[in-house]
Amino acid sequence: MTISEFLSDHLHQIVLRTVFAGVAAVFLLAAGTQAGIVILLGIVWFLVFLTGWVIQFVRSRARLLELQSIMDGLDQKYLFAECVPGGRNAYERKIMELSARAGRAMISAVSDAEAAQQEYREYVESFVHEMKAPITAAGLICRKADPEIRRKLTGELAQIEAHVERALFYARTQSPEKDFIVRQENLAQIVAGALGQYQALLLLNGIRVETSCLEQTVYTDGKWAAFIVGQLLQNAVRYRRNGNAEPVVMLSAGRVGKRIRLTVSDNGIGIPAHELPRVFDRGFTGSNGRTRGGSTGMGLYLCRKLAHSLELELQILSKEGEGTAVTLTFPAR
Amino acid sequence: MQKQTIMIIEDEPSVREELAALLAGEGYRPVTVTDFTEVSKQVIDVSPDLILLDLGLPGRDGFSLCAQLRKECEIPIIFVTSHDSVGEELQALSLGGDDYITKPYNIPLLLARIRVVLRRRSGGKEPDVLEAAQMKLNLSKGTISACGKTTELTRNEIQILACLMRHAGEIVSRADLIDTLWNSQIYIDDNTLSVNVTRLRAKLAQLGLSDCIKTRRGLGYQL
Repeated sequence: MTISEFLSDHLHQIVLRTVFAGVAAVFLLAAGTQAGIVILLGIVWFLVFLTGWVIQFVRSRARLLELQSIMDGLDQKYLFAECVPGGRNAYERKIMELSARAGRAMISAVSDAEAAQQEYREYVESFVHEMKAPITAAGLICRKADPEIRRKLTGELAQIEAHVERALFYARTQSPEKDFIVRQENLAQIVAGALGQYQALLLLNGIRVETSCLEQTVYTDGKWAAFIVGQLLQNAVRYRRNGNAEPVVMLSAGRVGKRIRLTVSDNGIGIPAHELPRVFDRGFTGSNGRTRGGSTGMGLYLCRKLAHSLELELQILSKEGEGTAVTLTFPAR
Repeated sequence: MQKQTIMIIEDEPSVREELAALLAGEGYRPVTVTDFTEVSKQVIDVSPDLILLDLGLPGRDGFSLCAQLRKECEIPIIFVTSHDSVGEELQALSLGGDDYITKPYNIPLLLARIRVVLRRRSGGKEPDVLEAAQMKLNLSKGTISACGKTTELTRNEIQILACLMRHAGEIVSRADLIDTLWNSQIYIDDNTLSVNVTRLRAKLAQLGLSDCIKTRRGLGYQL
């Protein structure tokens, strides 16, 4: 609060008292009081009121600063009214009470929204788990079909599984609680898990898989990391180049200082340079997605969110017409 | 040899029946549970060699069932579940489960895990030497012997031959072979499989076993 704000708040009182003092002075002079005494009275009167204003200004400012610092220290700002000490006068108490009521309404709205989100997340998780039984059954049933049908059906089932899996991880990333466990994991196992899941998709589309130096120990959540690798594999399949060259996806790892870096690279169509900064944005499909179709704009977005939670460094390099390389750098222990 | 009994505790009928058919086809004796009220009593009555236990059972969850079974018997348990969080996996293994597989499972992987758990429980190890069709395949040395001669094989060739020898006499489809190889972290495609089989045949021919891997057109390979 500045002095001018304070003055403008109390302007009507100042005006009123000055007018009253003027009227009193005129009355005293008319009643025969000496002019000197009237002036002296005026000065004393002015000093008394000035001191009063200064004290009030200083106290109000201190109080506001106190409230300000309480607000700054709060994580959930809407809990403010619950945390301030009681009002100093009836007026302040009344204001506080109203603000507390507003705060309580907000708290209940927030907790309702959180509960609804939690319920929705639980529903998505149970939906995903329900879906897995029929997918499993269908996988077992299609073993009896003739090889060509089996191959195609397995590919379609893998697609269903991929979509379902993305829904599960989307639900997981949207909720603030962390449900991953960082353990010592073998990178080759993580990669094997992702490759196994997208085996049908990779084989169906004639992608050659190359691996090198994957026998590394990393500290991460194996399932989350495998999901990220799986998204990268799907992209390698979706954005392969249909030319003479055989599409290849290469998974290699290496040590960078104390950290392990996994690189997933392909010889696909690549990403235009001006679109590269936005590929991790939610819903961004880019010109490749538009021309090829089938893009959701969710894969890399989820990768970034999960990588952030796992403290993985995620980088993408690409050259249009040559291919894309994504590197995942696992944190040191 | 007597068939090993595998008990399937799974509430989803289609999965249960298909899984039973799969295991029967692989030479096991599957027993399915259809009444989930007194499962542990049924387990004791059947006393199987292995239990495949679904975690999401009606009534009670698989964890408490596992804990109860562990008090009463030492039958190996493989959890099969659609819940794939690390927390649950740790809980399952700490309760005395022998392995944990998530749905939808990769079939060769499931069979491989079953083989491993059964071997571990019977005290034996995965046999180092496979014998079939007058051949001896030494898995750790990576050599094949027949007619008194021995030759070395590459990693890919060993896995292909081992898969065919485990199913000697049966037709193994190309897709099954590829699945098995992928589980051994050998990521080959259809063309590479053909190349590898051709090389393998040439090596076997040197040992005097020409034509022992037959191509069944449209079906797969047969030893």
